[in-house]
Amino acid sequence: MLGKYVPALNGVSLRVERGTVFGLLGPNGAGKTTLLKILLGLAQPTSGTARLLDSHPGNTAMRRKIGYLPESMRIPDYMRANRFMWYMGRLNRVPANVLKKRIPELLERVSLGGVKKPVKAYSKGMQQRLGLAQAMLNDPELLFLDEPTDGLDPVGRKEVRDLVQHLRHEGKTIFLNSHMLSEVELVCDHVVILNQGLVARAATPEEFTRGTGEYQVRVAEASDAVRAAAATIATTGDWRGTTLHFKPRDRAQLNALLDKLRSVPVEIESIEPVKFSLEQFFMQVVSGGNS
Amino acid sequence: MYASYLNSLMEAFSRRMGLVLVGFAVTWAVVFNWLVHFIPLNDGSTMVYLGKRMMGPGSLAQPALLGIGAEITGGLFWMLLSILAAAPLLSTTLDRGWLELTLSKGTARWRVFLGRYLGGCTLYLASVVIACTPLEVRFWWNTGIGPWPLLVAMLIQTFIFASLLSLAALAALPQMGPAPPILLSLMVAILAPVLAARKIGLYQILTSNWSRGLIDWMYRILPKTHELQGASTIFIRDRVIESWFPFWSTGIFMAVMIALALWLLHRKSL
Repeated sequence: MLGKYVPALNGVSLRVERGTVFGLLGPNGAGKTTLLKILLGLAQPTSGTARLLDSHPGNTAMRRKIGYLPESMRIPDYMRANRFMWYMGRLNRVPANVLKKRIPELLERVSLGGVKKPVKAYSKGMQQRLGLAQAMLNDPELLFLDEPTDGLDPVGRKEVRDLVQHLRHEGKTIFLNSHMLSEVELVCDHVVILNQGLVARAATPEEFTRGTGEYQVRVAEASDAVRAAAATIATTGDWRGTTLHFKPRDRAQLNALLDKLRSVPVEIESIEPVKFSLEQFFMQVVSGGNS
Repeated sequence: MYASYLNSLMEAFSRRMGLVLVGFAVTWAVVFNWLVHFIPLNDGSTMVYLGKRMMGPGSLAQPALLGIGAEITGGLFWMLLSILAAAPLLSTTLDRGWLELTLSKGTARWRVFLGRYLGGCTLYLASVVIACTPLEVRFWWNTGIGPWPLLVAMLIQTFIFASLLSLAALAALPQMGPAPPILLSLMVAILAPVLAARKIGLYQILTSNWSRGLIDWMYRILPKTHELQGASTIFIRDRVIESWFPFWSTGIFMAVMIALALWLLHRKSL
């Protein structure tokens, strides 16, 4: 009652195009789950509006076109996978004859086909896969996946990534909320970074991971002659073993360096532009740095 | 709502307390039926015995014996067992992690919750049917006396239970587990007979006008489970409803509790 009022989200404005995978990133408490809950009609915003598939988030008919995997899903102990899936399907008004066909298919798809034990005996990863299966039960146009790879081993994570890619190819729109930056980088078409309830950055992963302007030039042998030759062009270059880290003014300077090195002579093994990783970019954004 | 209703029944019969309630109902039915005998007489009539005790012809024995059954199934112990079995159906609906999953689906919140509530009421009705119907069927078979007074009595008792469960539904909303709904509805079940007999009980202790007024208002507002229980046994015996006041006043209480619970759930921000 006497606590400080902190808005979970402040002026967040997003537009997600159909048929894309949209990644939502942010540190803990950034407002990612709150945003998802508002979009799903589970929480009410104090102000502002959200439209989902041209409808209000609270509209039950619209929600039948949506799949949702919550972050901390809890399935009652007494349920078995089939019964759980049946109940979730019926809540979405999926016809019984469709469920009879889809449930075994989906359980097979998430590698839970032959599992007979009750859900309480499932590992975290198995529960997560079951959650994914229920989210796809109504053949949704839009999928909200809140930390879908939480608790999964590397093989399971790869399976989820493949599943997301497959769903995208089917024309589904996917809203992915994840801490796993590498996954977001691999599967998302657009990424938004939320920080303290605000949209800190919004772009494609390629834009986030664009080149830094620096190159790594790797040579067969970094002898004194090679280093001396390089120093005439790359005055600010930094040698690490046989690799020269160098930020040229322009392409001509880079070519001049390569010509100089070849004239020593030395064999050039590789030239790679240095890119930001999404993680580096993310850390920069959330710590208030400039991109 | 039907999906939620069916799921709640499935959950009820998967829970230990649900099985205890059904087990208790089956045991009661077996024991009661084992004790009651029908002896056909030479004049074509049938004499009914409870153990070795003669209860008289069917027309006299039926109200007496089914009245005993109704007093047991509408009694505090049976209500206690039923609340312990049914109230968690409402509180588990609101478990975090499960609530987000169910309420994000294409079914309105009130339908999900009302389905669970009706499932709880059905659990109680099922236990009463299991406990009382076999003996009634035997009466019907042996004496030709129809079952409708018992059916009405069972519905009255389910109405009592539904009123207590409506309070449990409201108490479940703060998401503090099954304890508050169970305790609150049990408290009302215990308090109802005390309030019904307030003029010969509480009035002796509370002598001031304001305290008596307060007690009177509590009586008017809370469900009249004691009077309704009496009405169910009287109906089996005399086939009449003496007063409709307990019915409509309890009905209003129940409707308000359910409407309030559904409205609060509708507005709840998860």
